[in-house]
Amino acid sequence: MSDKPVLRLYIAGRTPAADRAIRNLEQLLEDAYGDEVGYDLQVIDILERPQLAEDERILATPVVIKELPPPVRRVVGDLSERDKVLIGLDLQQPS
Amino acid sequence: MAERDSSATEQARGEDAEHHRKATPGALTGIEGLDFILDGGVPAGQPTLLRGGPGSGKTAIAMTFFCHGLSQGEPSVLATFDESPEALTRHAEALGFPLRQYLDQGLGRILDMRPDRSELVAGEAFELTALLARIGHALDALGAHRLVLDAIDGMDESFRADSSLRAELARVFDWIRERDATTILTAGEENDFSRRYGLEEYIADCVILLKQEIRQRRMTRLLRILKRRGGGHGTNEFPFLLDQEGVFLAPVTGTRLEARPSAERHGTGIAGLDAMLGGGGPYRGSSVMVSGQSGTGKTTFAAAFADAACRAGDRVLYLSFEESTEELLRNQRSVGLELAEHIAPHGSGRLSLQPLLAVELGWEEHLLRIMRAVQEQQPAVVVLDPASALGDATESRQGKEMLLRLFYLLKREGVTVLATELLSDYSGGVSRLDVSSIIDVWIKLSRPEDGRNLRRLLNVVKARGLPTSDQIRGFELTHDGVYITEPSPQGRPC
Repeated sequence: MSDKPVLRLYIAGRTPAADRAIRNLEQLLEDAYGDEVGYDLQVIDILERPQLAEDERILATPVVIKELPPPVRRVVGDLSERDKVLIGLDLQQPS
Repeated sequence: MAERDSSATEQARGEDAEHHRKATPGALTGIEGLDFILDGGVPAGQPTLLRGGPGSGKTAIAMTFFCHGLSQGEPSVLATFDESPEALTRHAEALGFPLRQYLDQGLGRILDMRPDRSELVAGEAFELTALLARIGHALDALGAHRLVLDAIDGMDESFRADSSLRAELARVFDWIRERDATTILTAGEENDFSRRYGLEEYIADCVILLKQEIRQRRMTRLLRILKRRGGGHGTNEFPFLLDQEGVFLAPVTGTRLEARPSAERHGTGIAGLDAMLGGGGPYRGSSVMVSGQSGTGKTTFAAAFADAACRAGDRVLYLSFEESTEELLRNQRSVGLELAEHIAPHGSGRLSLQPLLAVELGWEEHLLRIMRAVQEQQPAVVVLDPASALGDATESRQGKEMLLRLFYLLKREGVTVLATELLSDYSGGVSRLDVSSIIDVWIKLSRPEDGRNLRRLLNVVKARGLPTSDQIRGFELTHDGVYITEPSPQGRPC
């Protein structure tokens, strides 16, 4: 579907913070889009693909980049502050 | 590339400094004076912190380190946290390094680590692993062991809220050692970044402080080594130059440092004066001063000496503080000295004449410019005419201290110095420069009036290691040079 948000979560190894970020982000996306539109989330470990970190100029991890829909937005941290993540990524609030 | 085992270095830290000094080789920064005071460069395979305020020259020094590696064919990586890669490339080009070319060849890489200001922070626990992964990736790709992290305090902005940055930074420094990457990190003075995170006390192996000071109403750049693990370092502040010719710091080299006292001698260009000095003139590498009041002929003695040295095949750097090149050539032509013969492009090129206005520059800058010219031209003889222009440029002691240092540096380079000193009319013929301790041969000129006639008199006040005449002689300035006349029957000049 065209509205389906596309996100990439960059982590640096399976650290506790990375696990928390994955969990938090998945929960948030599930709540917001899970049933109807769905979402496209890719988790990228930059230890395996450092060139992607270079291309995206990533400084700190975990960091999520929302590629679609525009505008591109980035939020860094373990994504535990749910409201901030939603605002930062400019995603719709779950109803 | 550097052969160093980090665990061995850890052990060596506990051992005596002398032992460790050998165990921690340096990596050259490309700034000779800095490499010299650092005992062979920054510690290889370890992090060095370069701290200074805005415009203090830290990026220029880090950039010189980066480009020096590249110029030697050594792959190198620079990560920037503040300026854009393009701005840094232009900076390097302004310092005379063909950085764009090195980057195009794939020998060097600039990583853009500037924080993304639109990035929002949500939740805690940041890790700098990404940063290290990117740098590590670039180091691996190039096989590089030379690294610059420029403006790491830029990180502060992206991580302000995070209390774990200190631990993360410590990790960065450990990682640098593990990677065996000789690294220069620069940090500004704002927000007390490096002290807040304990970079100096605990983390860096070598800390260099840069600052700017106003002295004599002129800006002087200063550099100080605060800390150098596993190596000796000078504790003084060293002034340095930063301009389109790059970064320059005296002392310059160790190459001629070992120069032994020479038994070879310079002719003075005045046969009678050579005779007074035991028939050969001063030793090579010694310091000669010619003092006298205005109009006694000091510059002619200096010019005759320069002319004789050029004729003997030596290179001479003649620094004229009061006369322009044209004035000097014209005035000395009238006493039979054709200095133009030694000046390129029409002459032999052995003589380099540099007019310098003493008031134009601060005294530190003068000293550094002179030492840089010495390094570039490698003269056997340096003439300072008159040296008192430097000593008098300031009323404080600093002018004299600077002259002493200049003499000392030149002497250490094995250069013969001939300085003239203008004595004021009220000085009673007493030198005010206080540099006699470093002068080997001291010649005093005078022009006493005894009613009807003016006589020119000369005596050798001292001449270390040379048989000298105690007599006061007369001399004449003729259209074909200086002639020493018979001992004056009148005795001492007044």
